[in-house]
Amino acid sequence: MKTPLAWLNLTYEKTRLLVAIAGVAFAVILVFMNLGFLGSLAKAASMIYTRIDAEVYLVSPQTLEISSTKAFPIERLYQAAGIRGVERVMPLYAGYLQWRNPETRGTRAIFAFGINPDDPVFLVPEIQSPANQAALRRPDTALMDRLSRPEFGTQTVGLITEVDRRKITVGGQYTLGGGFAADGTLLMSDQNFRRYFAPFPLSLISLGLIKLQPGVDPAQIVAAIDQVLPADVMVLTRDQIIQRERDYWISTTSTGFIFGMGVIVSCIVGVVIVYQILYTDISDHMKQYATLKAIGYRSGFLFWIVVQEAIILAVLGYIPGFAISLGLYELTLNATGGGLPIGMEWGRAINVLLLAIIMCSISALISVRKVVVADPAEVF
Amino acid sequence: MVRSTLLNSMTETDHSVQIRQLNYFFGQADLRKQVLFDINLDLPKGQIVIMTGPSGSGKTTLLTLIGALRTVQSGSLKVLNHELVGMRKADLVEVRRNIGFIFQAHNLFESLTASQNVEMAIELLNEWGNKRSKAVDVLTQLGLADRVDYKPAALSGGQKQRVAIARALVNHPALILADEPTAALDKKSGREVVTLMQKLAQQEGRTILMVTHDNRILDVADRIITLVDGRLETDETLDNFVEAHDPKALDRRMFIM
Ligand SMILES: Nc1ncnc2c1ncn2[C@@H]1O[C@H](COP(=O)(O)OP(=O)(O)OP(=O)(O)O)[C@@H](O)[C@H]1O
Ligand SMILES: [Mg+2]
Repeated sequence: MKTPLAWLNLTYEKTRLLVAIAGVAFAVILVFMNLGFLGSLAKAASMIYTRIDAEVYLVSPQTLEISSTKAFPIERLYQAAGIRGVERVMPLYAGYLQWRNPETRGTRAIFAFGINPDDPVFLVPEIQSPANQAALRRPDTALMDRLSRPEFGTQTVGLITEVDRRKITVGGQYTLGGGFAADGTLLMSDQNFRRYFAPFPLSLISLGLIKLQPGVDPAQIVAAIDQVLPADVMVLTRDQIIQRERDYWISTTSTGFIFGMGVIVSCIVGVVIVYQILYTDISDHMKQYATLKAIGYRSGFLFWIVVQEAIILAVLGYIPGFAISLGLYELTLNATGGGLPIGMEWGRAINVLLLAIIMCSISALISVRKVVVADPAEVF
Repeated sequence: MVRSTLLNSMTETDHSVQIRQLNYFFGQADLRKQVLFDINLDLPKGQIVIMTGPSGSGKTTLLTLIGALRTVQSGSLKVLNHELVGMRKADLVEVRRNIGFIFQAHNLFESLTASQNVEMAIELLNEWGNKRSKAVDVLTQLGLADRVDYKPAALSGGQKQRVAIARALVNHPALILADEPTAALDKKSGREVVTLMQKLAQQEGRTILMVTHDNRILDVADRIITLVDGRLETDETLDNFVEAHDPKALDRRMFIM
């Protein structure tokens, strides 16, 4: 076996090694947090659609994402209902209301969904419970999301407060989560929705939900519906509408850019720290490296030693960085009451490891010049 | 002239080093400065040669040229039957693998044990299996049997220099170049180191070229050459050298002690 020179050189200076590991770990944590937020953004954007029992969606072309929908005629939904392969069509109404906190009397925007109580819109079984179904059908009553932020005040069943200056009773609870756009959600019947959003004609809907018969290919139905409907609505599969929503949050808003920048800056920090460490290490061993050259080692060998040191630093720094990031994800998840669906993904774990290796290798490439040009004649 | 005809009569393979009309310059253009002038020198196999001369006379420079550590453009410089003049750097590296270098500073890796430092040289030959036993063997010969797994920080100056010598000798190089190997050592360990080099060289018929200012170790030499201002001034056997110099300062008996 070869003498593990890179490893022995690195581990000989314990303090320096610790500083280097801390530096890499720091960069790795920053990258993980930025990617974590970015990932949770994408996940939050898709979350609502994974809880709706529909494979095909009708939206206005002006709709950017679910919290800012543009209404369109409900006829489009009825037209789509006639297509072969469609099992059921369901309208969805959505918009913001001002919720009054019963304790502080302050108001805060809450996101409201309106549905026909007979439609099984959400894949949330507790909404179908007899108590909740009865509550949905009562006037001036809504169900409230348990994941709504505490700033909305007490959220117990039976609570009475105001939304947009109208009395409202919390008739029941469910667990859904509002993603990035909403701090809290309400679920109410279409009749109640029309009253709270008056004047809001029920002939205009925010989102058209289409449930397909089992085994039907959504892409084919989308094409078929598209043929029938005029251009004032878009027909999208679930994947397409999720993608559209993600693109909005990540690209159209500067959120993606900000987190992307965060990743780049973290990497630069990492490169600089590792460069400093490698450069000092090389400077300290200049005589020895020149001696190796004098006795017949080629520059390529020394180059490889430095690259090895870089890779070792990357891996050693990645391990604590990964572990700490897991803890920070957990912390964030708890702090947001599950509202920010942040979590580790295998793909991300591997990509960040590769990124750490690339980062350290760049540092190696910058610092290695010194050893490659080292003149063996100078050691005499 | 007499000397060069004498040299020419020898066959090529009898020599480890053969130098003809070697000139060497440092710097470029206006700053160009000649440091070696018309050097002609032959080192037969198995000979121990000491090179002396005033500071700045070009001894180290000549050593680095023979050691294939610098590129040379004019004259002729044959080392172990390789013509180094005009050779590319990549090929010089190959030649260096057959030469044992001993530097004034030991230049050991602090992070490696004595044995591992020596093994780094063995690995150059792509020998992996018995490298540890080879390293231990040579360290033992140099009296470091109980220090093979010590790091340099735990070794004395003389011991470190002996590890460096072990590294230079382990591959049995045909030619050993040493630049003031005893400069950093006290009288006793300096003496030990040189005697060890002499012993190993004689056993294995190695050629040694050693630069030293240390009069106390001149007696190991078969021959002493003197470089002054970049020119080879004298080239004598040890006895001639001692006679030609101040007998009080360089008493023959002093070397034998
Ligand atoms: N890299 C270099 N660039 C320019 N000039 C140099 C270089 N190295 C040495 N010289 C010059 O070449 C001359 C010979 O230097 P060299 O080191 O060979 O002397 P030396 O005989 O080994 O001296 P010492 O006994 O002090 O070690 C000196 O004048 C020195 O200044
Ligand atoms: Mg010198």
